Amino acid sequence: MTTNLPAIDRPLIEPARKTFWNVSTGFMSWAGTLDHKRIGIMYLVGVTLAFLSGGLFALLVRLHLWEPHGLLFENDAYNEVFTLHGAFMVFLFIIPAIPASLGNLVLPLQLGAKDVALPRLNLLSFYLWLAGALLTVVSIVLGGFDTGWTFYAPYSLYTDKAVISIGLGIFLLGFSSIFTGLNFIVTTHKLRAPGLTWFRMPLFVWALYATAILQVLATPVLGITVLLVAFERLYHIGIFDPRLGGDPVLFEHFFWFYSHPAVYIMVLPAFGIISELVTVHSRKPLFGYKLIAFSSLAIAIISFLVWGHHMFTSGQSTYALFAFSFLTFFVAIPTAIKEFSWVATVWKGSIDLNSPMLYTLAFLIIFAIGGLTGVILGALNVDIHLHDTYFVVAHFHYVMMGSIALAFFAGLHHWWPKVFGVMYDEFLAKIAAVTIFIGFNATFIPQFIMGSRGMPRRYATYVPEYMAYHRASTIGAMIIGLGVALMVYYLVASLLQGKKAMQNQWGGVTLEWHSPTPPPLENFEKPPVMVGEVYDYTALDLETTRTPAS
Amino acid sequence: MSHDGHHAVTIPAPGPEFVPHTIAHHFDTPVQEFQSAKLGFWLFLATEILLFGGLFAAYFFYHEQYPETFRQGGRQLDWVLGACNTTVLLVSSWTMAMGVRAAQTSQKQKTLLYCGLTVLGAAIFMIIKFFEYKAKNDHGLFVFTDMFGGYDTASGQLSWFKDYDGVMANVPHGHLFFAIYVTMTAIHGIHVLVGAGLIIWIMKGAAKGRFHSGYYLPVDLVGLYWHLVDLIWIFLFPLLYLVP
Amino acid sequence: MSAHTHNPTGHDHSGSAHGAHAHGELAMGHHHVSTPELFRNVLLVLLVLTAITVGVSRIDFGGANMLIAMAIASVKASLVIAFFMHLKWDTGINKIVFLSAFLFLSLLFIFTLGDQATRRLDHEMHATKAGVDKQWVQPPPAGKH
Repeated sequence: MTTNLPAIDRPLIEPARKTFWNVSTGFMSWAGTLDHKRIGIMYLVGVTLAFLSGGLFALLVRLHLWEPHGLLFENDAYNEVFTLHGAFMVFLFIIPAIPASLGNLVLPLQLGAKDVALPRLNLLSFYLWLAGALLTVVSIVLGGFDTGWTFYAPYSLYTDKAVISIGLGIFLLGFSSIFTGLNFIVTTHKLRAPGLTWFRMPLFVWALYATAILQVLATPVLGITVLLVAFERLYHIGIFDPRLGGDPVLFEHFFWFYSHPAVYIMVLPAFGIISELVTVHSRKPLFGYKLIAFSSLAIAIISFLVWGHHMFTSGQSTYALFAFSFLTFFVAIPTAIKEFSWVATVWKGSIDLNSPMLYTLAFLIIFAIGGLTGVILGALNVDIHLHDTYFVVAHFHYVMMGSIALAFFAGLHHWWPKVFGVMYDEFLAKIAAVTIFIGFNATFIPQFIMGSRGMPRRYATYVPEYMAYHRASTIGAMIIGLGVALMVYYLVASLLQGKKAMQNQWGGVTLEWHSPTPPPLENFEKPPVMVGEVYDYTALDLETTRTPAS
Repeated sequence: MSHDGHHAVTIPAPGPEFVPHTIAHHFDTPVQEFQSAKLGFWLFLATEILLFGGLFAAYFFYHEQYPETFRQGGRQLDWVLGACNTTVLLVSSWTMAMGVRAAQTSQKQKTLLYCGLTVLGAAIFMIIKFFEYKAKNDHGLFVFTDMFGGYDTASGQLSWFKDYDGVMANVPHGHLFFAIYVTMTAIHGIHVLVGAGLIIWIMKGAAKGRFHSGYYLPVDLVGLYWHLVDLIWIFLFPLLYLVP
Repeated sequence: MSAHTHNPTGHDHSGSAHGAHAHGELAMGHHHVSTPELFRNVLLVLLVLTAITVGVSRIDFGGANMLIAMAIASVKASLVIAFFMHLKWDTGINKIVFLSAFLFLSLLFIFTLGDQATRRLDHEMHATKAGVDKQWVQPPPAGKH
């Protein structure tokens, strides 16, 4: 226990402590590990590579759209590039990233447990992710795919591309997600430390729990959808193929039954990170803890009732349209409860404007825009005009990238010292955060505007009227790229030559900050017992438990 | 202080023909291990319900869309064989439940016997299924040997739907019924095979004395899987085979 | 701890059986063991219901055919779930987990089949309206771009 040692630049001479990093060495000790922290690290490497690859595809898309007639690709090749951007980002990065990397690293620690409930299943989850990722990459070589990440029938049934292999990859990725969710549900129910009642759990755990419910209940339908598309291509069932009596709208129902809850699989963990960070970095108990906890569950349940809003123009009956539009508005209520609670938490708090907090504040602004534009799109009569335009693209990038990815970065920076035992260069981190914020808005505000003026999405070329918007957006994307590159640089540098981190870098009070930094194999020197309420900062000594802002 | 001195928690064997069980190191008590595994498995069964549920949704959708096709298609299936298979699976569910009970009450030979009977039921089911598929193949309603021959847009001819007897000539999209029939029963059949494999694995463990009143968890879980297989068929049978 | 301290004629208990028959601190704490008679009776009921399913299918109830078949199947399924799968004596969370799968699946059914069913209403509505009602977009005035 080193909480009372002052922070110093170089470690004193001390006996080598066994952390989860050095407790065993060699390739097999990682490849066959059952330690949730090592699995989390492997996932972190994987999803980071996926994010960078997806980002590269994004830069290619934006570069291509510099010119109205398209700068880089033939139209068919462009279709493949944006499909790859979407598929990598959605299936390989956003869905797994926060739960499987940060969740795996932090959830058992926050629960005071030694590991997740089913460690071998956890390792299997990782290998399923890896297999899915490899299949995706192989599919590029085998001919690529150009259907958009949504692989709608009937085009996905006819197109002369590697749809089956990417479908199999998605199937495996789906089960990776299901097993992670399954594991987290069991862990939360059965492995909480003594004294850690449900309403003393950190909100990150609540968020991951609500996410896990969605992972378990929604993902199987994606699994069967992908299988059915593969079967259609292989032996022509006729289930989605209109030539054979099938209904392509049925495909959309199946697809979006998963994919709408999927966006909440993506965003709920991000909400959890923001909940954690606003309280720690304003040194103030969370406003509306129970509201936020229950709102996560409410969002999870409501998310199953609204999927038709992705298909307003596809040919549903008017009654289905009304029902879905009406229900869509309800999901805004628990979401707004969260947003207001976070702002109320920060209000009159002792705010430390460090890099995790900068990302958090950026999230609060960006997510407000993303969420509200979602409500706009939920209005049936407006969506008729905005569907399949850049307005939709901007909306979902505001929630996917501007909110979720930023929350991922926030969580990464927040738990970096705990996991790696080193601190990154805070000054560079702030520069990167501001750069990404500016670049992000520069990229996507023009897209809102041109979308509302009719610029369709997934188009390789466009009329010259939209050129100024596209160019502004492309410049913004380059700025994001610079910010991300800087982030990668200083994070890697911290691993090579970073300052040793404090045990409790930010003065947090959740259980993960009570373990040594980095944690040993079984997480705690003594099994912790939770006394007192969650987010209670009164017991902390401000002087010794917080890095001064630099 | 060392935290590696974590002593293993072991459940003793209730008799000489059994072996003790040590719980996994990250659990504190056998109850925790048991309840965690059970909850995890019920969650997995929930995912199977949703996976198959999608297929059922598609069935209901097209049954509503093309009622004559489904009526006529259902008439081509042998309801007697279907009822036999239903009976076989129900009885095998009973033998599986008895097998789990035998493990719970530390009756090694009975565990092996009932598990073996369950595997026998699985085998009978698959054999009957084989003959059903063969009949469809021979009547051209689903020519397995020409399954991947493709769809000719010009003639509208599907490679595997030849309908030699012309039984589906007067209903729209006759192939759709048989495509759905084969897809649903084949995916179910794969689950039957997986279940049988798991039960065989349980039998090997039971023979070594691993399962007894102190530790019967794997038998319990495999039993749950087998009952799920039965559950799905309980719904499949009337939908596919029983046409009014 | 010998094998036959378990009650071989143990009766059904309603509600969850948490540690109701704990035998020492190393026991699993979840010991409800069903009787062979219970299992046999459930099997007989299942077989009878199967026979009823087949018999009832001989009669054409029109639109209710599917409903009746599914209702009987649901009863059979409930017996398998409650007794063979032991859910009746299992923990509350396990019950919630499994039953919620059916609940959320029903959402897929309701909205998808509901969409299909109400399309018919749309078609009827459009068929009866006069053609002029369907012109929501007026053609542009002559001469304007």
